[in-house]
Amino acid sequence: MSFSTEERGNPNTLSYRVFYKNSDGKYISPFHDIPMYADEAQNVFHMVVEVPRWTNAKMEIATKDPLNPIKQDVKKGNLRYVANVFPHKGYIWNYGAIPQTWEDPGHKDCDTGCCGDNDPIDVCEIGSKVCSRGDVIKVKVLGVLAMIDEGETDWKVIAINVDDPEAKNLNDIGDVQKLKPGYLEATVDWFRRYKVPDGKPENQFAFNGEFKDKDFAIKTIKSTHEFWKALISQQTKAGELNCKNTCVSEAGSVFCFSPEEAKAVVDSTSPCGDAGSVPDSVDKWFYYEK
Amino acid sequence: MRVLFRSSTRLGCVLLRAAGSGGSGFSTGGGRMMQYRIEERGRAHSPEYRIYFKTASGKYISPFHDIPLFSSEHQENDVPAKKQKRSDSELLFNMVVEVPRWSNAKMEISTKEPLNPIKQDVKKGKLRYVANVFPHKGYIWNYGALPQTWEDPNHTDKDTGCCGDNDPVDVCEIGSQVCSAGQVIQVKVLGVLALIDEGETDWKIIAINTSDPDAPKLNSIEDVRVSRPGQLEATVDWFRKYKIPDGKPENKFAFNGQFKDKDFAIEVIKSTHNYWKALIYKQTKCGEIMWLLNTENPCHFLLKWINGTSCPSDYIIKISVGVSAEIQTRRHSRKRPAFFQTQPTVWSSVLVLHLRIRNTPVHSGAEEHS
Repeated sequence: MSFSTEERGNPNTLSYRVFYKNSDGKYISPFHDIPMYADEAQNVFHMVVEVPRWTNAKMEIATKDPLNPIKQDVKKGNLRYVANVFPHKGYIWNYGAIPQTWEDPGHKDCDTGCCGDNDPIDVCEIGSKVCSRGDVIKVKVLGVLAMIDEGETDWKVIAINVDDPEAKNLNDIGDVQKLKPGYLEATVDWFRRYKVPDGKPENQFAFNGEFKDKDFAIKTIKSTHEFWKALISQQTKAGELNCKNTCVSEAGSVFCFSPEEAKAVVDSTSPCGDAGSVPDSVDKWFYYEK
Repeated sequence: MRVLFRSSTRLGCVLLRAAGSGGSGFSTGGGRMMQYRIEERGRAHSPEYRIYFKTASGKYISPFHDIPLFSSEHQENDVPAKKQKRSDSELLFNMVVEVPRWSNAKMEISTKEPLNPIKQDVKKGKLRYVANVFPHKGYIWNYGALPQTWEDPNHTDKDTGCCGDNDPVDVCEIGSQVCSAGQVIQVKVLGVLALIDEGETDWKIIAINTSDPDAPKLNSIEDVRVSRPGQLEATVDWFRKYKIPDGKPENKFAFNGQFKDKDFAIEVIKSTHNYWKALIYKQTKCGEIMWLLNTENPCHFLLKWINGTSCPSDYIIKISVGVSAEIQTRRHSRKRPAFFQTQPTVWSSVLVLHLRIRNTPVHSGAEEHS
C-alpha cells in the first residue's frame, strides 16, 4: 500500500496545501482513508509526517477542510511557526499524526482529567532520517507522553521509523532512554515550554511527565481509533470536522466523497508555485531559565 | 613604489590588494563601512564550490588579507564618519561568516588558495559536515573568522601551551539573525574561549552582530550569561564534543573552560593581528613580500616599475601554478620591464618577491591595468 502527495498553492503562504492520493491515483483523506495499521499483527502503524525534524512551520492535517489536506496553521491571521526554544531548533523529531484516530473533545480522559483536543493522535518519530512533509511512514510504537496542552488531552506517542537502522534495537520506552540518552527529557522540556514565547504558560502533564510504555501507548492509540470509528460512523457528532472520505464510508453515506467530488476540491485550489519567504523572526532563539 | 601588471586574459586580472595602499600602514578602521559582494563558483555541496569576495566596485579581494579587521561605526547615508579615537572597549570588528547557524557544511576561508575563497573542507577525500551532537543541530552560532588575523603555528601560546592552528582567529556570533556564508558583518566582541583543538591553540571569540536588537545591551561575557542563559555552557559543550562522532577525543580548554572577558579577547585579537602582519610582510633572508595575482590561463604579465622610485638592485619573480609548484624564476637587475608568459593549467598565482631596501619594508601594490 503506497501513498503519494500533490502540492498545491505556494509553500510558506496561506494557499499551500498537500493533498493525498492512494496507489490507484484516487484522492484520499490522510485523516480517514489511510489505514491506522500498516501491519496489525506486528503493531506497526502508519504515520503521516506533518513537520520534518528541525523545521518550524506548524503544518497540520486540516481536519475541518474537505479531503483534510496538510496546511500551515494560522493564528491571528498569521502563518504559524513554532519558536526555537533554546537549546532546541524547531521540532526535535519528525512530527505528525496517526490516521484514523481522534481525541474526542466530548470525552474526558480518566488519566489526564481533560477532554480530547479534537485532532488525530500526535506522534514524535525519533529516527535519524529527517522525513519530508507529507511522507507516510511505518512506525513502531515505543511509548507515550500524556501532555495537557492548554487544558486539553494531547497524547504524544513516541515512535521509530521501521526503516531506521536502530529500529530493531528499539522496542520499548526503556530502549529509548538507553540508546538516545537525553532525548526523552528534551521531549518533555520541549512540550512544556514551546508555547511560552507566544505568551502562553508552560504546559502540564499527567503522570508527572513520565513516559508510559509501549503497551500503554498501543492501548491509548486503540482507544482513539475507537473514537474515530464512532465519528466516521456518525455515532459521534462531527461538529466542524470534515469527515468526507473516499475509501471508508459506503456510497450513499453523507460522508462519502465520489472521486469527482474529491478532484473538484483539489482543482479549486491554485496550482503549485514558488515558495514564499520565511520571516527572519522565525530564526530567533528564545532563552529563559527553566 | 608600485608595480603594475598588465594582463590579457579572458577574465581580466583579478588581484589582491593588501589593506592599506601606499606607505607601510594597514587600514585600521575609520572611514567608510565597507560593502562586499560575493561570487559563487561551482556547484554548492561539491568539492569545486568556491565563494569569492569582491569590493562594491567589483575588484576581487581576499577575505583573509584584504578585509580590514577593525571596523568603523555605522554610517548614515554613506557619509564617512569623522575619525574618532576609540578606546579598546568600543572597538568593532569585521567578521567573515563561514557557517550559518544551524547548518552543518564545514565551510572555511581557504588559506592556501589564491584569493582565499570560502570552500567546503574535505577530509579523507570527502566533503566535511559537522555532526549534530545532541541536543545541538549543526553549529549553534553563526561561525566564521576575523580577517587579518592569524594563529601562528610557530608560536606557543603561554595560556594554552600549544601552537597556533595556522588559521585566522575564529568567531562565534550569537545574534538572532542566521547569516549566510560569505556575509561580512560588523561585530562587537564580548569574550573568548581558549579551546585546544587536537592539541593546537584555537581561540573562539564570542561576539554579537552590531545590527542585532540586543547588541546595545550586550557589553560583556556576563551580559551574555544573563540574557542568553545556557548559550555559553552549550558553547563549551559543543566544542568539547563536536569531533567525537568522527572518532576524535573530547577537546580540552585552557582556563578550565572558563570564558575570558572582552578586554582579554581584544588582546588575543590584537596579538593574532600582529602575527598576521608579520606573515603578510614575511621577510626571508632575501627580503620578500608576497603578493598573489590570479588569472585564468593563458595570461601574460608585463611588469614594470612606475613612479620613478628607486627599485631594488635585484629582484626575483616566481610564477607558480596553483599553490606552490614553481615553474619559472627570473632574476633581474636594473629598472627594466619584465615580460612573462604562462600556461597554467587551472589557476595560476604570481608571487612577486621584493627586497627590503635600506631596511624599510617595501610596500608594493599590484593593480589592474586595462
